[in-house]
Amino acid sequence: MPDVAERIHAELMKAGVRLAATLPDDWVAPLIRKLASDPAIRHVPVAREAEAVAICSGAFFGGVRSVAVMGNTGLLTCTGELATLNLRHQIPVFCIVSQRGSLDDHRVYQEVQGRRTLPLLAAYDFPYHVLDKADELACIPDAYETCRLQKRPFILFLTRRLVKT
Amino acid sequence: MKARQAIEILAANRNDAVVVCALGMAANEWWAATQSEDSFYMHGAMGFAASFSLGLALALPNTAVWTLNADGSLCMNLGCLLTEAAQAPANLRHFVIDNGVYQTVGGLPMVNPRRTDYAGLARAAGIRSVFAVKTNTELERELHGMLAEPGPSFMSIEVQPESGFLGTPPMNYEGPEMKYRFGRALERKLGIKVFGPQGY
Repeated sequence: MPDVAERIHAELMKAGVRLAATLPDDWVAPLIRKLASDPAIRHVPVAREAEAVAICSGAFFGGVRSVAVMGNTGLLTCTGELATLNLRHQIPVFCIVSQRGSLDDHRVYQEVQGRRTLPLLAAYDFPYHVLDKADELACIPDAYETCRLQKRPFILFLTRRLVKT
Repeated sequence: MKARQAIEILAANRNDAVVVCALGMAANEWWAATQSEDSFYMHGAMGFAASFSLGLALALPNTAVWTLNADGSLCMNLGCLLTEAAQAPANLRHFVIDNGVYQTVGGLPMVNPRRTDYAGLARAAGIRSVFAVKTNTELERELHGMLAEPGPSFMSIEVQPESGFLGTPPMNYEGPEMKYRFGRALERKLGIKVFGPQGY
């Protein structure tokens, strides 16, 4: 039985993703390792999450499908770039992000992320989907297409129940 | 040397390169000099033209890609140098116009102007082909050498700041139109598909 990271990787391949720009937190680290181990995917580790956003935006214009993988805190650090680059120019960018600060995430330094991330996305009008169960992973290619069609940042959240159990 | 002179020299030596321009002076002056639609002019995300350009260069390994950056923008994202060095795309060249000021807002001084060695930062980040020029003559000479070698490479171009606002006329398109003009220009120029069959 493939693990969750393997299955997300496989769904991203089905969606045509061939470049992954990443900066880990501990929840998305297994997925990043999986993506980095695939020679069919150009893996671009970055020093700050907004780099990943801009790298994926540039790759879009080269006709290459990409994904930005980061932690929830990292997503909060790059909302300005997502707004002024991706909303401004209607450039799609598909982000896979850990959904921190949930009921079952007992890290005190994630509590603000848990309370304020979704209201922030609503304020920016960034669409998102929460992936909570392994039997929902096949939605990833549809989520990717929705991102392209809506021409803006799309956040695919991974819950603790999905990635840590 | 003034920024406009440096940019005109770069434009004259561009050949087929696709160019990504940082928000502000770099974008304004490149548009004024070239009026080129196969260039992307950042209107936001200050600091991240270099990262956008890296993504484009990785997606198009057979196409020359230039980053036209400025000192203010580079300093908002110095980490880009590490990422460029790590990925090391041979088709990427990174130019930084160092005028020591935030020119677009009227010439307020940059942080630590004229004391930061941007070429030294690039070299220390791991970019092996690094150049620093201060005059037209140096720029013309070093540019030919830089373009003759594979990238990634980095050039710091020190220029004299203007006093006050430059007053360069704005571009006559923006936002989503820039996306489509740039994407369609690359489709025509390179024979690639940026947009799908329904246009998005």
